[in-house]
This record gives sequence, structure tokens and C-alpha cells, in this order.
Amino acid sequence: MTVAWILRRARRQSVSQRRALWAAAGSFLVLGLVSGATVLGLRATRGWMSTVGQTVHVIAFLRDEMEPDQIAQLADLLRRRPGVARVRLVEPAEALVRLRDAARPSSATDSWLNDLEPGYLPRSIEVALAASVDLPQRAAELSRRLRGLAGVAEVDAMTDGVARLGAWVRFGQRLGWAVVLAAGIAALSFLVSTVLRGREARRRQAQVLVILGETAGSIRLPANIALATAGLMGALAALVVLRLAWPALLTAVESALGVASMPAGFSLGVWESSVGLLAAPVLGWVLGYISTPVPGWVDA
Amino acid sequence: MIWLEGVSYLRAGSPALQDVTLGVSFGELVVVEGLTGSGKSSLLAVAAGARSPDSGAVWIAEHNIVGLQASSLPYVRRNVGYLPPDPLLISDETVLENIMLALAVRGEPIDSAEADARETLAMVADSAWEDRLARSLSTGQQRLVALARALVGPPPLVVVDEPAAGMGGDDREGIVSALVWARERGCAVLCATCDPGFSQMLVDAGGRRVHLEGGRIAGAPAIGLVPTPVGFAGESEPKNAESSQAIHSSARRSSGEESS
Repeated sequence: MTVAWILRRARRQSVSQRRALWAAAGSFLVLGLVSGATVLGLRATRGWMSTVGQTVHVIAFLRDEMEPDQIAQLADLLRRRPGVARVRLVEPAEALVRLRDAARPSSATDSWLNDLEPGYLPRSIEVALAASVDLPQRAAELSRRLRGLAGVAEVDAMTDGVARLGAWVRFGQRLGWAVVLAAGIAALSFLVSTVLRGREARRRQAQVLVILGETAGSIRLPANIALATAGLMGALAALVVLRLAWPALLTAVESALGVASMPAGFSLGVWESSVGLLAAPVLGWVLGYISTPVPGWVDA
Repeated sequence: MIWLEGVSYLRAGSPALQDVTLGVSFGELVVVEGLTGSGKSSLLAVAAGARSPDSGAVWIAEHNIVGLQASSLPYVRRNVGYLPPDPLLISDETVLENIMLALAVRGEPIDSAEADARETLAMVADSAWEDRLARSLSTGQQRLVALARALVGPPPLVVVDEPAAGMGGDDREGIVSALVWARERGCAVLCATCDPGFSQMLVDAGGRRVHLEGGRIAGAPAIGLVPTPVGFAGESEPKNAESSQAIHSSARRSSGEESS
């Protein structure tokens, strides 16, 4: 069969089996949405954890009797500790400036803040930890160790907010994976059952073509082409939907969590989109292959 | 040509064909007659390359299809116009498209395939059916369409099983004319029927009668001509001299594709 004939057969099959093909394209759309949302969701949660990691520190308030070289040694030890991203010594003057910046301007606080002198505030060491899902545990562990040091007066692990956000993110991830898995299995099952439902009709068509002397490859080609096209259409539609709907969804979630918005997480990259646009037609092609049984000999 | 040599075939464990030897030359019409269950359909399915015999050889032109790889069979089959007992049409396709499929497989351009299919449909049945879906036809009408599909081209070899089953007088005459038309174009035509009247009509039109009984050829000799490697001599030389060549080139193409 020539290319023109194969395309004609594919077009005619697409018309006669348009419901099944639309259903297949819809399944590919759902699969694409699930896959794309998974990638984007993982990227967003990684971003959130990174944001949290950058803003949350373990603060060790130092005793006045600690010598500068002891403080430098402590800072150096902390820098070498795995999972520590940044260590910074905060002098009392800087601490006072921060305190004034952070305090809400009000008549009640203005008076005593203005009277406050740097000498009232202790030196401190701020420790920023590398972002990860077990950040609260690591922060708590570091705090425990710092509290055991002689020169450390107090430690603020700042773990409450982190723990809360971390717990929500972990819960969201678990829930997300469950939803992704369920939706993926449902979409794939629907796709496979839709394709296999027409198997008997295609077996009969294949039998006719075998009698006429068509090769197995050419018999399967129209179904391969039709389902690969359905896959491509579904993947394209999923990309468009994700492009249009994901930013609004992400912004809403970020707003609810109170984390900063990340423009980089708004859309799939070129490589990710290309993989999706390639994988869906390939899956369609494979389904087209298994949906058309071709007998070697004819049972007529 | 079609040449079956010592062919035996088991159907569900019972012998349907036993040591059958039969030849049909280009430009020859052979009528296989016999009672129901005598092995006619098995014989024709084997002769058309649709089924593999359990023993013996089935030569289509120079190729013993029993020895061919499965991937090479289609290239031989596309030179055989086969009407099986079940018409086997694609039910959600139009009549014209069903007939055109035979030419599509042979790689004929779409436009000329459409013209040829129309012409053959008009000869065998009714050209008004061309846009009807195959599933909307009666069983008899489907047989006529399947016959048109077997004859369109025409292919070098035509193998038709009970083409006139359930047909009335005019249809039977039309079928005989169509088979004679194919024979006159150099085709080797093998037709099976259990209808003595239809068999006689074909014999009267120049056909050679072969009687099948219990899976064996009975009565008159079944061998029309001793096969020669290429072409034929005397009266049976194909009028369509391209018939044999078409099969050879198909098989060569097949071999070439396999080796590549």
C-alpha cells in the first residue's frame, strides 16, 4: 500500500472511529495534565522548600565573655557541618538596626527602640541550612548541639513556622502523589480499554487485508497513525491547558501558603514539553500496534 | 498458475484434503464441484494461500508458498483474487472502498483504482451500490461485492468459493460472464460450487470440471497441464502475459525487502 493509500485509510478510520479516537485523545489529555502537573508541582514544592530554607535560620545568641577567636572557631566549625548553607556573625549594632526595621512603627515601640543601645543586644551567629524536606529536624538537631556549648547563651531554632510549612508541603506532596497515581491509572485504563474495545472490528479488517495480501506492518499503520495523532493532540491540549491554568492555580496556592511567587515554576521547559510531545504519540503508536491483531493465516 | 501437489490438510483434526494434486493454468477456468464437506473450501483456501497445508506443496507461479517465510506470503497473496466462503467485507466501509482495497494493496494509484473498482462493480453487481456501507447489504449482495473485489484488476489468479450461493438466474449468468471475462484476460480461475446447475453453466462456458469427494479428487484427471518453471505453451499460454511476471516481481521485491 502506498503512502497515499495508508493516509487515506488512516483518515477513513479516524472518521469511522471518531468517538473512540476522541476518547483516546481525551485520555491522552488527562495523562498529559497529570504528568505535567506532577512535574510543575514537584518544581513548585522544591521552590517553596528552598525559599523556606533561605529565610529560616538557627540563631545562636552568644555570651559576652566569648572571645572573637572563639567565635570565629565556632563559625568555622558550623560552616564545615553538612547541610549548612551559610553562617554569619551578627554584631549588636546590626541586630539593633534589624530590630528597628522589623518592629512595626508605632508610638508605643518608637520610644523604647530609640532609647535602646547596641550594648543591650548580644552577638549572635545566624545559620542558614540547605533546603530539604527534613529541614525542621535538622534545625532542631543543630539547636540541641549549640545549646550544649559553653559560650552559647540561647538558641532560637525558629522551627515552628518551618515545621508547619514543611508538614503542609509533605502532606501536599503525599496527597499529590496519590492523586497523580490514581488519575494516571484511571486515564491509562480508560485509554487502553477504549483502544481494545475496537480490537474485534480491527481484527476483522486485518483479516480482510491479509486475504488481499497486505503486509502486517501496513495493516497496522492506519491505527498507528490515528492513535499517534490522538496522542499528539492530547499532549498539545494538555500543554495549552497547563500554560493557561497553572499560573493562576500556583499563585492561589502560594498565596494561601504565604510564600513568594516563582515565575520559573509557571510553565514546562522546552525539554519537558518535547518529551511529552514525543512520548504521547509513541504511546499512541504502540497502542495502535497492540490494538490491531494480524493473523498470519486466514480463518475464513 | 496454481499448482497443488500431494496436498493434505487437517480441519479440526479430521482430514479435509488427502493427497490432492491439481493445476490451474493461466487462461483456464477450473470448476471444483462436490457435496458439502467434501473439502472444496479447504482446497480453495489452500490454493489461495490463505491456509497452510499440513503436507504437500502449493505452487503459485514459481513459488511454493509452503516454504515461504510468513513475511513473504502477502506478496504472493496480493496476486490472488480470493472470494472466501464468508465474503469478509469491512462492514463500516462503502462498497466501492471495499473493492478498491484490493487495488490499494497492489499499489495502484487511487484515481485509477476508483475507476477500475466502479467498472468491476458495474460488471458483477449494481453500480448504484457503490456508496452504500457494506453492512447495509444483504448476504447475497455482499457476496457479489466480494466477488467484484476478487476480480478487480484483474489479478493473475482468481479463486472463488461458492460465488453463486443463494443467487437467482440473472445473477448466476452475470457471475459466469464475470469469471469468463477474467479467464479471457489470462487469469487462472479456480471456482468451487456444490450447485450442479451452476457447475454445468461454467463447464458450458469452457470450464474444466473437477470432482472432489471426501477430500480426494475423483473421476476425471485433475491435472490440466504439467507445470513449467516459467510461462506456458500452447493454448494455455496466458493472454495476459504480464500475469506471471507480476508474481515474479512481487516475490523478488519481497525477497529484496527481507534481505535489506
